[in-house]
Amino acid sequence: MTEQNDPPPTARRRFFGALGLAAVAAPAAAFEVDGGTGGLPPARESEAEKRKARYRETDHVRAYYRTNRY
Amino acid sequence: MARMKFLCDSDRCIECNACVTACKNEHEVPWGINRRRVVTIGDGKPGERSISMACMHCTDAPCAAVCPVACFYGTEDGLVLHDKDLCIGCGYCFYACPFGAPQYPRVGNFGGRGKMDKCTYCAGGPQQDNSAVEYMQYGSNRIAEGKLPLCAEMCSTKALLAGDGEIIASIYKERVQQRGYGSGAWGWRTAYKEELPA
Repeated sequence: MTEQNDPPPTARRRFFGALGLAAVAAPAAAFEVDGGTGGLPPARESEAEKRKARYRETDHVRAYYRTNRY
Repeated sequence: MARMKFLCDSDRCIECNACVTACKNEHEVPWGINRRRVVTIGDGKPGERSISMACMHCTDAPCAAVCPVACFYGTEDGLVLHDKDLCIGCGYCFYACPFGAPQYPRVGNFGGRGKMDKCTYCAGGPQQDNSAVEYMQYGSNRIAEGKLPLCAEMCSTKALLAGDGEIIASIYKERVQQRGYGSGAWGWRTAYKEELPA
């Protein structure tokens, strides 16, 4: 039996309502259809840029070669 | 100039499929597409061999030769990349490729194949390096970060080699000189009754 001095349950409902809204809105805000370009066309590499050599022999790559000799 | 290549040491590959999993996870490859897969010959029989296969980035790529919209392009270090904005999903490259590398998401209506997807050697595509758009279309660009393809870096037995063709060939040569022709794997004489030549 409910006592007269209990707070009305509307506060709790508002809390869960807000929680539900956040659960829907947060992923929608994080998901960007244009890939994060702000609506602008994505920057593309020029013909020369896209054909240039991409490989660099960094320390990371040298470590890979070294460990593969074991 | 370095020439990028893949080399799979079939004596070391244990068919664990870590390369396949690493590739799918790194690039968030959609369901139904495998840019890399492990092929086993003589599965379950003595002397079985497994090799990890993906786009081999051919010197004279047949996929590029048959593409009606010329969406393929080669880089100076020997990679064969493609532009998904140009691809019309005709499927010619799939028929031309001797390795079965081109894959299609088949998400369109009326049996459309969708944009072709294949191994990029972790080098992205024609979009700006390491941009969100490039990641969405082609996956991560590890080469631009000064790394090598994750499939090869993740290989637990170091069977899958990637990098400068001359260097990985020398690594493989050292292995063959050390273990002799055939497998030097522990247990082969016991399990398969195979003698290792000196």
